[in-house]
Amino acid sequence: MIDTIAALQPPVLGAVLIWSARVKLFSRHAAAAAHRSALTRLIGQRRALPAYRLLGGVELTLGALLLLPPALRLEAAAATFLALGFLAYLTYARRAAPTSSCGCLSARQTPVSGRSLARAALLVTGAGLAWLIPGDWPGTLTARPLAGGVLLLVEAAAVVALSPELDAAWLLPLRRLRARLTHPLRGGSGLPLLATLQQVQLSDTYRRVAPLLRSDVREHWDDGDWRFVGHAALYQGRAVTAVFATPLADRDPDTVRVALVDDTTGHTLLALAGTPKPAGPQLDVVPA
Amino acid sequence: MAALRGEMSWFCCGTAWGPCGTAGGGACGTCKSGNYQHAWPNTSDACFSITRPDSCGVSMSRRGCGFRHYTTNLCTGARVGTTIADCGPQTDLFCGETSCCGSACGSNRIIDLTPAAFSAIASLSNGLRPCSVDIV
Amino acid sequence: MPHTLDRRRLLATAALGGVVGATGLGSLAPEAAFAAEAPAVEPGAPDPNFVEGRISKISGHLLLVTGSDTVLHSIRITSGTSIWKLHPTTFDQVAIGDGLYARGVRLPDGTLAADSVWVNIVNLHAHITSVGRNVLHLDHQGRRIVAHVVPGRSAAVYNGTPAVSDLSLLRVGRHVQVLGAWHPDTNEISIATVYAAA
Repeated sequence: MIDTIAALQPPVLGAVLIWSARVKLFSRHAAAAAHRSALTRLIGQRRALPAYRLLGGVELTLGALLLLPPALRLEAAAATFLALGFLAYLTYARRAAPTSSCGCLSARQTPVSGRSLARAALLVTGAGLAWLIPGDWPGTLTARPLAGGVLLLVEAAAVVALSPELDAAWLLPLRRLRARLTHPLRGGSGLPLLATLQQVQLSDTYRRVAPLLRSDVREHWDDGDWRFVGHAALYQGRAVTAVFATPLADRDPDTVRVALVDDTTGHTLLALAGTPKPAGPQLDVVPA
Repeated sequence: MAALRGEMSWFCCGTAWGPCGTAGGGACGTCKSGNYQHAWPNTSDACFSITRPDSCGVSMSRRGCGFRHYTTNLCTGARVGTTIADCGPQTDLFCGETSCCGSACGSNRIIDLTPAAFSAIASLSNGLRPCSVDIV
Repeated sequence: MPHTLDRRRLLATAALGGVVGATGLGSLAPEAAFAAEAPAVEPGAPDPNFVEGRISKISGHLLLVTGSDTVLHSIRITSGTSIWKLHPTTFDQVAIGDGLYARGVRLPDGTLAADSVWVNIVNLHAHITSVGRNVLHLDHQGRRIVAHVVPGRSAAVYNGTPAVSDLSLLRVGRHVQVLGAWHPDTNEISIATVYAAA
């Protein structure tokens, strides 16, 4: 069995290397991928893209040699060293530049993760097997088509599963489908405070008093059909509370009102309304 | 240069608590949350290839670490001077997004300020504000 | 509590009452107001009126904060201080171990008299890797963040439109900006606002 597994490694390795080379040599996002990778940290920004392209050339050449019979031991040895190089580079990238992108099988920005390292380790193992136990992969596949086909499929699935940059092709659509079927985020209702603050900030009333505000929102409450939002403010040298009032049912910024109330005396020092007679609902309050 | 209008947000950098702890000193290696600094989308080729403000139709000059910009909150007129310490924001991820205060609006994300700088002209609980950016 | 109710009734009455003293506001054009108190902090320099760190002790209305650069700060909370912890809240919700950003005025004794304190606030750019019941799983620079939706608090802004409570339009795989409150010493946050491109 181990002979069969070893014999079928060259096509898997070849396919992965050619896929990887495709990104580095032919993707229009190759430059961005190179600049986002840890290569910029390792060898400098200027040399990152040429090195990235050169690596793509090596991958393409070796990938093609691995795919095309005969399967030479030298090819497997070269693939082992290349995969070891990947593993070392990814380990370095994860430690030295954790926010950098892998730049491996896709130009998509994908930080180096445990899965990337596991994939590199899988390639090292596969290439090492092919080096130690050389075999003829077309012959093996012809002799044992079912077992060989299943082995190739399983290994390809393992490579895909360990490739975060390929998640967008299979994992995310599955998760999207699950979300579409189960609606896990459904159910939010009510007027969020942020919506009120946006309405306030769109108003001319807010623009006129904004320079006086000293604090973020200090308190907020709903009363009747109105929502009130209070900030600490400074007006003519006095500590005041700037209280904005917005009707809960009307999102028009012109309905926003504001008053500056002296914190010490409770006197209203200033009150502004967006329109002379706002059409908003009324609150039953007793004048002070 | 005429003032550039857009949206501003904030980001943390330097030694920090929480999820910010991994942020580090930014692309320039000098970024600290408590300093008056900012991230700019065009600090280098590598930076520009990530942020791509041009894909939103925004033309932004190349400016290096330490360059001074002055950012004005269009909601209040408050203004803060900061120096470039990192690459960002990733303008292309929110192309066309607009924030307004009254009739003053800014489209597309053009600058990220440190918490110290952002809180000097806006509230941190407001993750996004319209702004204009100038060099004087 | 009765005091709070009386005060709120007073503030509500003031806000909904008639226009008072509006003509006196002519000089308050934003530019004029800020020109008068231009910040003295040099671009690139630290701001003495800003503090960042984690709360190591709470004594009365004084917070002892250890900055991430290990410098110790004292922050005084006053009746005028706004406190944000997922939403505008009160001082009793602040706990030892919380992270914070604070802005205020430095007193002669070095204490910061806080105007605003933002507790555990984070502003993350991330990708949604999956969604569960009232939870988003995020990829933030290669690290996993579990972001909890808090019914009645969490809001979404889709491409600059007004904030709504409905987060169901968020899609797996999309990039988002999440403003939220970190759960200290975990990789979890509670969501205040999700900004998503359309």
